[in-house]
Amino acid sequence: MKHEEKDSGTLRMGENYSTEGAVTRPLAKDGTPARLVALFGSLGQNGEKHVHYVFDAAAPTYLEITLTTSGLIRSISLEVPAAAWYERELHDQYGVEIAGHPDLRPLIFHENWPDGVFPMVDAVEGVPWSNREYHFLEVQGEGIAEVAVGPVHAGIIEPGHFRFSVVGDTVLHLELRQFYTNKGTEKLFEGIFVNAGTMVAESVSGDNCFAHAVAYSQAVENACRVDAPPRASAIRLIGLEFERLVCHISDVGGLCTDVGFSVGAASATRIKESLLQASSKCCGTRYWRGIAVPGGLRFDLDSRKILEFSQAVSVAARQFSDLAQLILNTPSIQNRFETAGILPRDVARDLAVVGPVARASGIDLDVRRDHPYGHYDRVQFEVPVTHYGDVMARARIRIEEAATSARLIQETANALPSASVLVSLELLGELHGSSAVESPRGELYYWLEGHDGRLTRCHIKSPSFQNWPAMPFAVADNIIADFPLINKSFNLSYSGCDR
Amino acid sequence: MIFEVIEQSLRQPNRVIPVEALLGNGDGSRMPEVIAAQLTPAIAQRLVEVCPTAAFRIEEHDRRARLRLSYGECIGCGRCFERSEGAVVAAKSFYWCGHSKDRLVRVWDLDSRTEITPLPAEPKVARGQIHSLLGRALNIRQLDAGSCNGCEAEISALTNPYYDLERFGIHFVASPKHADMLLVTGPVTRNMAGAVKTTYDAVPSPKLVVAVGACGCSGGIFAGSHAVVGAVDAVIPVDGYIPGCPPTPAMLVTGILEVLRRRIAK
Repeated sequence: MKHEEKDSGTLRMGENYSTEGAVTRPLAKDGTPARLVALFGSLGQNGEKHVHYVFDAAAPTYLEITLTTSGLIRSISLEVPAAAWYERELHDQYGVEIAGHPDLRPLIFHENWPDGVFPMVDAVEGVPWSNREYHFLEVQGEGIAEVAVGPVHAGIIEPGHFRFSVVGDTVLHLELRQFYTNKGTEKLFEGIFVNAGTMVAESVSGDNCFAHAVAYSQAVENACRVDAPPRASAIRLIGLEFERLVCHISDVGGLCTDVGFSVGAASATRIKESLLQASSKCCGTRYWRGIAVPGGLRFDLDSRKILEFSQAVSVAARQFSDLAQLILNTPSIQNRFETAGILPRDVARDLAVVGPVARASGIDLDVRRDHPYGHYDRVQFEVPVTHYGDVMARARIRIEEAATSARLIQETANALPSASVLVSLELLGELHGSSAVESPRGELYYWLEGHDGRLTRCHIKSPSFQNWPAMPFAVADNIIADFPLINKSFNLSYSGCDR
Repeated sequence: MIFEVIEQSLRQPNRVIPVEALLGNGDGSRMPEVIAAQLTPAIAQRLVEVCPTAAFRIEEHDRRARLRLSYGECIGCGRCFERSEGAVVAAKSFYWCGHSKDRLVRVWDLDSRTEITPLPAEPKVARGQIHSLLGRALNIRQLDAGSCNGCEAEISALTNPYYDLERFGIHFVASPKHADMLLVTGPVTRNMAGAVKTTYDAVPSPKLVVAVGACGCSGGIFAGSHAVVGAVDAVIPVDGYIPGCPPTPAMLVTGILEVLRRRIAK
């Protein structure tokens, strides 16, 4: 995706703008408010702080508004609720004060982080350990109990904390506390060479590592104003759709696990494993790590091996489609999936939810179709959307998308362009680029700045960061025993969110 | 309805991979294997330059240059394969895991182009031996100390019908209080350090702790970040190390059994 040039699309306000800088949400051509894509800070060359607002106003390219501030901006969270976590993150990372924000408790940093240390601005060697206080919201009233879960959960999953306020079995309110796996990843990008950045991007969310690698690579290519060669783009498409297929099969299996339907769960893990082994045979890695780099691919893949791979994909997709029918026709599954964890459409829209979760709640959104990148303008596909918003809807969306992914892999593998897979990049001078990719969990957006081949800033908007705040709305009014199922149906990455 | 479900499960062939094919299998791991005969000082220098996590180093010993490879640091990025003129390839078999970090280190003398590290005995654990090792029961609690979830994906794969860890009597349990072994992934983040210690304390003694993945062994690509404390052994005592980014299920099985074998031999 090409980013709008600074002169035409980007509004840059002068430094003398009022300290209470504020941005109003742009409108799309049809008058609907634009969707917030990302909000983040960066440092200027003289240490001044920039705040970047990226919106999707239903135009071919995203709209970026940059505000320069001396340290105080006006919150847009009341108008754009999706901005709430972003502004808290900005506050934590850059120490920018956000006037009028309803909740400025620390987000990324926990009790152990000292007040007044901002990692994107200050030196961060030997930050002392602190013991600050953190207050959860308290729901008061007769018969209300609090249930605290995590950060260490039962099972092989990532850490996060959930604070339920319940009446009997029914959840009145769920408060999330994430960022246990925050590894300071955005800071790690600072100062490293552009090519080394791929390895950091791949480690943001392990099961979506290829989407991260491609989004990062495309952002660099965007900064250099070049496109990856056609063969590289086509192979990237195969990798991205493979990742989506594996992720969706795994999710549907996980939903079966959470309702005790062992046959479905075991069959899904079997199909997933057959895909991972096919991938290992095709390119020597089970998760497509270490393949995409800025400029294309690190090495070419053998066309014959890709064809074998696509045959394995087609077998797996057929098996999964049979399995999905069996799962959807099972009355006990229908009973548990239907009407559980409904995410209303207006909440999904207010919180700018993305990916399969958004499409299950009636929001017609897919980066592959709306902002085609790489090889996606050469393939045809339908984007499934449904309005029920429950666990069943999210499962159905994933099942349909899995079939589409398998078809796209076969079509692309059967008509692979030839020639090289890597172009060299001109990295001298200022770099400024961004890129969005539809990862299995939804829109993944990379924004980066650099100088002479080294990065100075890289922001990662992960779909999980965007979708987590919506989950409590789907959980409210359900029984607490359905929480694991609803959580799984969102399938959010903790590490991707926490970064 | 129930008959369709039963039919579906009966139609599936047996997919279990025999233990002999799992142990030491390096397929898909992208761990580097050095072909000593091809190694030159110039190539060794390039390996050091190209490695993003300093897994390759050149050391001097008795005025002879040596190449040192620590698998604990290796994130399997494969950059060394490209720049080595065939001296480094993706490992087909991989046994470098076990009870101490030294077991993850290999050293080559650059003048004589020979490996100095003693090669590990192939851990061909016979079927009967597995049962005597485990007494048919090992309860593992997996603990994510800040991982990217790549290791989690591979650990979950251990329970699928191909690897079927339950056949060895190994179970994943929900509570640390039920566990014999903690399988810890990820660099320990600042925000998880407290929870990692609490979880360790909750496991009844005697207990085993195994650090999994490049991040668990050394901090991996996240070593040195302001939000990361370090490798698992920076926070709790560790009995075994399984490298890889992420380690494949075969590497995990090899590593878990090797840690047990060492522990019992002690």
